[in-house]
Amino acid sequence: MSDIKADVTMDLKGLACPLPVVKVSQQIKKMQVGQILMAETTDPGALADFPAWAKTSGNEIIDTVKDGNVTKFFIKKLK
Amino acid sequence: MDKEKVLELEQVIEKKLNRPMLYYLDLCTRCGLCYDTCHAYQGIPKKEYSPVGRAEVVRKVFRKYFRPTGKFFPWWGDAREFDENLMEELREAAFSCTGCRRCTMFCPFGIDMPYILGIAKELLIAYGNAPEELVMLADGAVEKGKSVEMFKEGYQGVIKDLEKEVQKLIKAPTSEGLIPMEKKGANILFVGLSGAHSIIYPAAIFNAAKEDWTLSYFEAVNFGFFAGDSEKANFIANRVINEAKELGVKEIVIVECGTAYRIPKFLMGPLPFKVSSIVEVIHRYIKEGRIKIKEGVITDPITWHDPCQLGRNGGVYDQPREVLKMLAKDYREMNPTREYNWCCGGGGGLVALDNEEFRIKTGKPKKEQIEKSGAKMVVTACENCHLQLSTINAGYGMGVTIESFTKLVGENLIV
Amino acid sequence: MLGYISYFILVPMVYIAFATLILGLIYKFYVIFRAPVPAGTGAIFPKQGSKVLGLIYDAMVVPNVYNKQKFFWFIIMIFHIAFFFLFLGHLELVDEFSFIQIIPHKVFLGGGVVGMVLIITTLYFLFRRFGSPYREISIPEDFMILLVLFFCILFGSILHLAERYSDWGAVLRVDVNDYRQWLQSMIVLKPELSYKITELSHYTILVLHVLFANIFLMMFPFSKMVHSVFTFLAHYRKRK
Repeated sequence: MSDIKADVTMDLKGLACPLPVVKVSQQIKKMQVGQILMAETTDPGALADFPAWAKTSGNEIIDTVKDGNVTKFFIKKLK
Repeated sequence: MDKEKVLELEQVIEKKLNRPMLYYLDLCTRCGLCYDTCHAYQGIPKKEYSPVGRAEVVRKVFRKYFRPTGKFFPWWGDAREFDENLMEELREAAFSCTGCRRCTMFCPFGIDMPYILGIAKELLIAYGNAPEELVMLADGAVEKGKSVEMFKEGYQGVIKDLEKEVQKLIKAPTSEGLIPMEKKGANILFVGLSGAHSIIYPAAIFNAAKEDWTLSYFEAVNFGFFAGDSEKANFIANRVINEAKELGVKEIVIVECGTAYRIPKFLMGPLPFKVSSIVEVIHRYIKEGRIKIKEGVITDPITWHDPCQLGRNGGVYDQPREVLKMLAKDYREMNPTREYNWCCGGGGGLVALDNEEFRIKTGKPKKEQIEKSGAKMVVTACENCHLQLSTINAGYGMGVTIESFTKLVGENLIV
Repeated sequence: MLGYISYFILVPMVYIAFATLILGLIYKFYVIFRAPVPAGTGAIFPKQGSKVLGLIYDAMVVPNVYNKQKFFWFIIMIFHIAFFFLFLGHLELVDEFSFIQIIPHKVFLGGGVVGMVLIITTLYFLFRRFGSPYREISIPEDFMILLVLFFCILFGSILHLAERYSDWGAVLRVDVNDYRQWLQSMIVLKPELSYKITELSHYTILVLHVLFANIFLMMFPFSKMVHSVFTFLAHYRKRK
């Protein structure tokens, strides 16, 4: 378990392509710089999609936690 | 708009002027027969949402800079200069079109209207007002292609978890090796999507058919194509093509995704391997007796929605119908169907945009079609269609079930 | 002065018009065939029948239109068929062709029906554009081409009908051979406009007819009229 405290939590389990990344980017736009978003997903593709997205959109994934089938991403808004 | 920007945009148009584009741009007589053949126009009867209305926005600016009449007598062809309003209209035109090409079916000259909108999309990218969701997704996909090595290990780890799900579905003795990766010389390279469901069910089917297959590291969908960025679209498409070449596979099989199927199959030129949709492969396995499905298990009335890229633009019509008629006791056809089928309104990347209200409105013909068929379950084989049909279903409170073809087969395998 | 203008329209401008038409179309095709060809195909499925015969069927019989609007299909079919007869009729003004005289008739063929069909259909196209939703998608070019066509056909029909049906409309009757003399002299590049033409009571009408025809031919390669040739290319891509 990660001890990072998230400001917003999103449940993206079982969503169809390409909604997880879209939802996360929409959510992060509403947030303040420095805040942390925790996204839970069951998508295997997210493991690559989220870091790739974070890199191109200028956000940072500060931690990734696997909990059974669910993967939790802790994303920090940088700009 | 300043001169330099105009010049830059002119060059963007010039780059897109290949052979079909040139005759498509000159060809239209504005007879208006395509007017109401678009689902968007059916839902919102405004000129801006008619095929000719959309193409004319592109033609007007094209005439201004590339035709003598537009240069010297702009009134003659209603030629228009680049400005804020025009860019906004181009955006409205390009991203209210799903690229289903139903209008092409009714055009007396066979004009490919969505092809013309390729100019609009490329202009929007150059101008910087392309939908940011699509640009973002395309950038992400390109980034993933560049640094795939970084993600490989993590991805393999999650796939291990999925193998257990596959094991349950096909009641295999072990989960080991149910989803092979990086297998050189395999018959099939399967390209899925991000979602677990897009890999589990195909994997179950491949295993049941004892296929020699391997899973791609990439997702099939091409957001570069949706955004209309030719360079990124090519890069994203080539990720999988290069992977297939390196592994030396005989065939690549594309998950339920219309665009992902059409691009390698029809738009990339000759490739050293076969390209098939998972729908075709399932049908092939059943015909060859490699997999068996429970016949007549679905008693509710059921119908098939032809994804435009699979049907009209891909020619896969009969295979899913044959399989569904085996699974279901009461198969119903929508009307109109096959190449005249109404687009659901979700293609072209539209489902990724924040436009749910628009999509519910423009899904009206699809909703009416489904209701008239009396089906309780709508099956389709395209993630975009699935998402959009679910939006329509919820938006109009239709109370039908939207089901994925592969999932339906995967759940009803006899193992 | 008027004489010079009339002469200009009937002789030099006809050359200019045909040169513009032919060179313009060659240029159009040159640009298209020089342009890069995209990889892949733009086919629509299911593919049915032969590629070449199919595309001719798609372009000339336009089943797409028949499936959509039967009445409009009927109108465009008689319009385009009338154009075909118009072409044959004008060939006979140049010389006698036995293949056209299979059914013996007086020149100009059709007894005025061809012109009438074209006048009615052209007006139909024009008025159709005044109503919604066609009005919103029309551009000035659409109206102008129809107007030019309409006047061209109207004056042509007057010439034909006056000559054929009225006793006093044409004071000095024009013989087919007078037209042939003029047009053949044009073809061999030794233009000769005899008094039999210039003193025709309908001379002004003839000049106007040729003027509008010239304008139409000159616009052809640079307007939507290219649909008549490019339609084959587009239908080919659909069937490829």
